[in-house]
Amino acid sequence: MTRNDSSLFTRLAVLVSLVLCVGATALASAAWYYARAAADDAYDRVLKGAALQMADSLTVDGGELIVDLPASAFELLGLAERDRLFYRIVDPEGKTLTGYADLASGSDLSAVRSDPVVQNGSYSGDPVRIVVVARAFSDPALSGWAHVIVAQTTEARRALAAELTTRAVLLVLIMSVMALAGTALAIRYALQPVWRLGAALNSRDSQDLKPIEVDMPREMRPFVGSINHFMGRLERRVSQLERFIADAAHQIRTPLTALTAQVDLLGHDRLGPEARQHLERVQQRAEELARLTNQLLSHAMVIHRADAVRLAPVNLVDIARRAFRAAVPITLSPDIIVSFEADESDPRVLGDAVSLREAIVNVIDNALRHGTLSRLEVKVSSQAGNAVIEVEDDGPGIPREAWESVTQRFATPKQNGGTAGLGFSIAAEVASAHGGTLGFRERNEHGFVVVLTLPLLTGEGD
Amino acid sequence: MRLLILLMALFIAAPAAAQAIGDKPVVFPARSTATTALDIHAATDLPAMEPLLRDFQQVAPDITINYFEYVTNDLYKAADEACRAGRLMGDILLSSSVDQLMKLANDGCAAAHRSPETECTARWANWRDEVFGFTYEPSIFVYDSRMVPPEDVPRSHADLAELLRRRIDFYRGRIGTYDIRLSGIGYLLAYSDARQTTTVYGRLLESMSRADVVTRCCNSEILELITGGQLYLGYNILGSYAYAAMLKNPHLRIVVPQDYTLVLRRGALISKDAPNLAAAKRFLDYLLSERGQRISREKAFFFAEDGPLPNGVDGPETLKESGVARPIRIGPSLLAAQDQQQRLRFIADWADVLFGSARRPGDRPK
Repeated sequence: MTRNDSSLFTRLAVLVSLVLCVGATALASAAWYYARAAADDAYDRVLKGAALQMADSLTVDGGELIVDLPASAFELLGLAERDRLFYRIVDPEGKTLTGYADLASGSDLSAVRSDPVVQNGSYSGDPVRIVVVARAFSDPALSGWAHVIVAQTTEARRALAAELTTRAVLLVLIMSVMALAGTALAIRYALQPVWRLGAALNSRDSQDLKPIEVDMPREMRPFVGSINHFMGRLERRVSQLERFIADAAHQIRTPLTALTAQVDLLGHDRLGPEARQHLERVQQRAEELARLTNQLLSHAMVIHRADAVRLAPVNLVDIARRAFRAAVPITLSPDIIVSFEADESDPRVLGDAVSLREAIVNVIDNALRHGTLSRLEVKVSSQAGNAVIEVEDDGPGIPREAWESVTQRFATPKQNGGTAGLGFSIAAEVASAHGGTLGFRERNEHGFVVVLTLPLLTGEGD
Repeated sequence: MRLLILLMALFIAAPAAAQAIGDKPVVFPARSTATTALDIHAATDLPAMEPLLRDFQQVAPDITINYFEYVTNDLYKAADEACRAGRLMGDILLSSSVDQLMKLANDGCAAAHRSPETECTARWANWRDEVFGFTYEPSIFVYDSRMVPPEDVPRSHADLAELLRRRIDFYRGRIGTYDIRLSGIGYLLAYSDARQTTTVYGRLLESMSRADVVTRCCNSEILELITGGQLYLGYNILGSYAYAAMLKNPHLRIVVPQDYTLVLRRGALISKDAPNLAAAKRFLDYLLSERGQRISREKAFFFAEDGPLPNGVDGPETLKESGVARPIRIGPSLLAAQDQQQRLRFIADWADVLFGSARRPGDRPK
């Protein structure tokens, strides 16, 4: 499929226009053909009528054929106002009695008997319609067939045919335009479910693998079914993978704890300075590993809970305070000033307390590890329908261009080096599961702020 | 200065030269120096046409007019022969015998012309944009008021037939009409008369025959005879010529018949392949234009489709509204009149009724 006709609308519109064009052309040709036939028929009657009148006016007097052309016959022909007319009257011996002697009948005169014969021909270079009428005489002095040949130029019938055709073509055109417009509307209407489906898929959260529940016409159902089937499979795969990660992390934790204990037992005193340095590094790495494992578990838990736990109204201040306590270690350097602050709005959100606590813990933990030099502040407040948790530190902050990437897994602010983490990823995940966002505020002279925004519980429910 | 004198001389001399027939044209030189020629071949008396020609030259000073005058039949014969032979004959043909012009146009001897002026022409006076009627001339009775007493004045065709029957001795040899053997327009009028009312026409013809009718090729001759006192009554005289004669001779009187009046549109036709096509078109447009029609009504042909009859004409107030007018429609039905056989027989019958077999055309009145 090329890019040009990748639009269903274009394809259908082009196809329908093509069919309409061909149809309109065919109809116009047919209209022209019938208009000509109708015009010929109408004027042929007049022509025949006039010729019959002329033939009727022939009389025999004393063995001679007398022509007394009735003016009414000419008046009849004069109905075609702009047409020239020619006639010839031939006696039974084939001699031209009167009229235009050089007017050819276009057919064998002797073959024409009682029925008038009409055909096309030309006279003096102009196309004409010729009628031949015969009349029998059975006078003792003169018997046989006399013939009246009348020819008329074709201006009037062409004009009539043109007028009829023009009108028919106009109608066909109007009809075509209407059909085209109707088709365009119909295609748009018919394709609407596709747009709706696309929009429904687009507006979905990237983690959301639940079946699509958009009302679809019958023709679209197999497509939606396939998508849902595929999503189901994907979801099963993803949850298997998550369970595997959680299991793995859990399995790693036990030997890791043992390893840490063993390392601690090694004792610093008995080692030389170089070995001590190595040991310290091993301890550091083991600690990072433990944290990472915890984060993996926490991440798996958050994701699991997002799908499994029904959200309930919770008090965000309580959760934030508990998270603050959990995140700030006892071993924290006394040089660092930490503070927790909540305004009196007492924000409540619809949420999962465990996940929310995990998210806040991770943000604070991240700030302590990578940001804080001497100060960490946590503030909970309500702002314009949202509950806002701000975690501010006096560290170097994260440059704006890195904001997007830090919320993805295993990305950390570069300046600090150190471990890759899942902290922001977990927080972002929780925020979006609660219909909120994880954001940042540019570093100013005060410090760098991570902002977790969650929609406030409306209606002040239970 | 010399040119002016020459022009003035021509101006004075021109009417005197009005007798030119056929190939000797009357020349109306252009008023300005840059000249285009325009050859008019006409079966129309020059005195009638002259005001129009002169006024046209006011509008178109660059055109020199060569005016060839004919009798209707001669004009037709010449034009028909020229057309058949593929020869050129003039730029524009004028004839009162429109049936002959119709025949020429039907035979493809005419050039079509469309302009705002031709669009305004009545439908019955325009065929294929080739033959145009540019005048409105009733066919009337003329009498000499010195000779015809008021109680004798005929007001209808039947009156005329009755008068000739009643006072045959007084009017014997004193009534004149066209010789339809010589005049195309005479034939057209007689043919149209016959189609109007067969019985009255037959009676009239019979009465005229008994009254030893005088026939002439042309209106002008009949009018001269009436003016000169030789004839008392003229039948089927074109109103325009008669009115012109009446203006000169106040004892002439005109009657517009009240049973029916044939009305003729003098025809104009541009020759196919006219050498001075543009000039011909200008002249035709002029004839059909308001200015041309006004001059025609005031100075040339006197009668008009709209408006009252000219002063001193005995008849209904307006021809058109009175309903007596029978216009001779310019259309294919005129071709019936032009059929050779028909024409020969009609003329033969006419001559037979009028003169028996003893008399020949052009016989003098006793």
